[in-house]
Amino acid sequence: MGKNSAIRRFFSIRGMASAIIAFIALIIIYVVFGLREPNVFSTNNILNLLRSMAKYLIIGIGQSYLLITGNIDLSIGSVVGMSAMITATLMTGGMAPILAAAISLVICLIIGVINGFLVGKTKLPPFIATLGTMFVARGIAYIVNNNRNTDAISSGIGKEAADKFQSFFYYGKTFGVYNTFIVAVVVFAVFFFIIAKTRTGRHIYAIGSNVEAAKLSGVSVFLTTTKAYLVSAFCAFVVGLILCAQAGMGNMEAGNSYEMYAVAAGVIGGISPLGGTGLLLGTFAGAAVWQTLENGLNMVGAQVGIQRIVIGLIVVFSVLLDVLLRRGSLIKKRTK
Amino acid sequence: MVGDDVDKIIVRMEHIEKSFPGVKALSDVNFELKSGEVMALLGENGAGKSTLMKILSGVYTADSGKMNIFGKEYSNLNPKLAQEIGVAIIHQELNMCRHLSVAENIFLGREKTNMSILSNHEMEKVAKAILDDLQIDIKPREIVGNLPVSKQQMVEIAKALSTNAKVLIMDEPTSSLTSKEINDLFRIIHSLKDKGCGIVYISHRLEELKEIVDRVTIMRDGKFVCMNDFNSMTMDEIIANMVGREITEKFPTVKTEKGKCVLEVKNLNAGKMVREINFKLYEGEIVGFAGLMGAGRTETTRAIFGVDKKDSGEFILDGQPLKINSVKDAIKSGIVLAPEDRKKDGLCTKLSIRDNIALPNLDIICDKAGIVNRKKETEMCNKAVNKLLIKTAGLEVDAGTLSGGNQQKVVVGKWLARDSRVVMFDEPTRGIDVAAKVEIYHLMNKLKQDGIAVMFVSSEMPEVMGIADRIIVMCDGKITGELSKEEATQEKILSLATRFDKKL
Repeated sequence: MGKNSAIRRFFSIRGMASAIIAFIALIIIYVVFGLREPNVFSTNNILNLLRSMAKYLIIGIGQSYLLITGNIDLSIGSVVGMSAMITATLMTGGMAPILAAAISLVICLIIGVINGFLVGKTKLPPFIATLGTMFVARGIAYIVNNNRNTDAISSGIGKEAADKFQSFFYYGKTFGVYNTFIVAVVVFAVFFFIIAKTRTGRHIYAIGSNVEAAKLSGVSVFLTTTKAYLVSAFCAFVVGLILCAQAGMGNMEAGNSYEMYAVAAGVIGGISPLGGTGLLLGTFAGAAVWQTLENGLNMVGAQVGIQRIVIGLIVVFSVLLDVLLRRGSLIKKRTK
Repeated sequence: MVGDDVDKIIVRMEHIEKSFPGVKALSDVNFELKSGEVMALLGENGAGKSTLMKILSGVYTADSGKMNIFGKEYSNLNPKLAQEIGVAIIHQELNMCRHLSVAENIFLGREKTNMSILSNHEMEKVAKAILDDLQIDIKPREIVGNLPVSKQQMVEIAKALSTNAKVLIMDEPTSSLTSKEINDLFRIIHSLKDKGCGIVYISHRLEELKEIVDRVTIMRDGKFVCMNDFNSMTMDEIIANMVGREITEKFPTVKTEKGKCVLEVKNLNAGKMVREINFKLYEGEIVGFAGLMGAGRTETTRAIFGVDKKDSGEFILDGQPLKINSVKDAIKSGIVLAPEDRKKDGLCTKLSIRDNIALPNLDIICDKAGIVNRKKETEMCNKAVNKLLIKTAGLEVDAGTLSGGNQQKVVVGKWLARDSRVVMFDEPTRGIDVAAKVEIYHLMNKLKQDGIAVMFVSSEMPEVMGIADRIIVMCDGKITGELSKEEATQEKILSLATRFDKKL
């Protein structure tokens, strides 16, 4: 009985159904592609897949925090670029990677605080507020190296240090898996814990479900919103480092459109864009679905255009599913 | 059966049954309406009046029963069809697009066009004709959001008439109107009667019925009680039929010694709706706040609770001066509020009962690092659920799926887990059934016995008089009087509640 009720409890968690549907979809997509192109199943491909999904997972986690609060962060893609450019520029100037990253982190978090202030305090619509910071952050990414991509980071910190940095975030492996994925899993674990087990996590769900009720329960809407934007800024920062490590240099356009990929990863995994519901587990599945699709379509030789169309349809379908589930439960409530 | 009146009957509902999850909302209800009459539909909250009218206007479908409108049987009415055949409902909460003009609202969804281009001029002309006909002084181009509520309501009526409605249902139309505005409304109702409209009039203000009502239908607990000519019944008979049971058991009270002063509020000012508020709350006492809608009672509770900014004011809690700048401050010092509108302010409907009860108590439940102690949380929530007899399958159930009464218990329950000194309730029994109401009253009494200062805001006068040991009456943002339980009468409360500033 104990085991049975544990299982039931597991399934009764809100958002678990959507997350599980996303995982099932993931397996189906993976197997279908694998049947058409056996290389999909190869160890090498799996490793690559995990590495490339890591970016979407991390950025998706950041966006999911915002979606759950009922907001959105359009600036994260630009913050990715900013993070990559600042870190790379400082490193090409000879600064130690750790210090460069730390400075970059601080600036990224400042964007997070600004977002939190605009949305949580001045009550600007999040779409507009973060649209503004999106342009600002991208502008900073351009300015830091005088409107040019940086040189190779090895030119500043030397080949050895550059190799170490690049291997830590992208090319190296630990336990046979690319470090990028390990980084993503660590980020996932930390933020999963925060949202599921801590007071801050509860507050994030609460303001997403009903701001007024949360406020009247003593929740600080400003602080909670800011925390969520700090999480997304941090996630964007990490992805910036990954892209910087991958390229070995800073690219001004790094992270372009990532804010939307992040929304997609979240909603495919059942995070409601209306706030209040969804699990980070779903984001994990969503990022994996996304990457598997991209990878699979690539492997079977579909054009980029087709890939985009398929992904677009999947996103719309997932949200439609969410809406229908919601409406379904509403109807039940009325007529039951 | 009714004889020579038969040609004039425009609505006849027979043996209507309707159930909601866990509640039989209507059983074997009959109703009829003649053209050119005002039929008052009376009953307590939860008697099923609104449900019945929602069936008539197509919002709900009856489980069984017959419905005949203008001589035709309808079994599957929907709101659109109801509108087409001439049934219009004016809800208590107005449904208007505040940013659009009066004419745009009147023709919303039925815009007049010429070669698919809006003919604004034409619409404004027709709107003006309707408004003039009702002798309402509103310009068709005015933005609805800029109008006072009473005018908005008139626009709603004009909108109904523009659809050629012959059956007009008004759900508590006067609840937010001033007496002058009420007179305007009555004038319009009379002119509608003369035009042959049948009007269903739902109201809790019995004293105003004699101005307009021809017949009454009384309901109680989802059942039809009686239908009569208004003049053939006395007010006492009407009330007796509405209540139908001993009033004493409806409002359980316990005797306690009035103890020392718990909270003193001094010179509280917060915006227009809270002006110069002074009062004290004592141990072992329940204080009721009475007044009309918009008297500033809700705003007062919000100002004390630290939700809205105050302009000035001092609080003294147990003899110590107290600063409240945020909800957090209030909660920390033991002052809590169960707000008025559950769905809007009280509950996170998408979250579980567990999450809702735990939300304001996370400071107790979490350890220093802010990590939720699941065991402590479960314990606390189970205690609240058991103590309040919340009917639920478990803690993980979505709060939004509970019945109104149980939702209210969750809203209250989340505050009982902490040691509070002052508990404020804002309309604690609105929209919940009689049994649940009594449970809430018992709860308030229990708090009172525990030496907690209890205050509650209520617009239902019998409730205020039944439950409160002391009644504070507000009007227009000010306290206009204070009555003990013994001296309180409906008339006294009403006269204090309508004591408006002359200068305004």
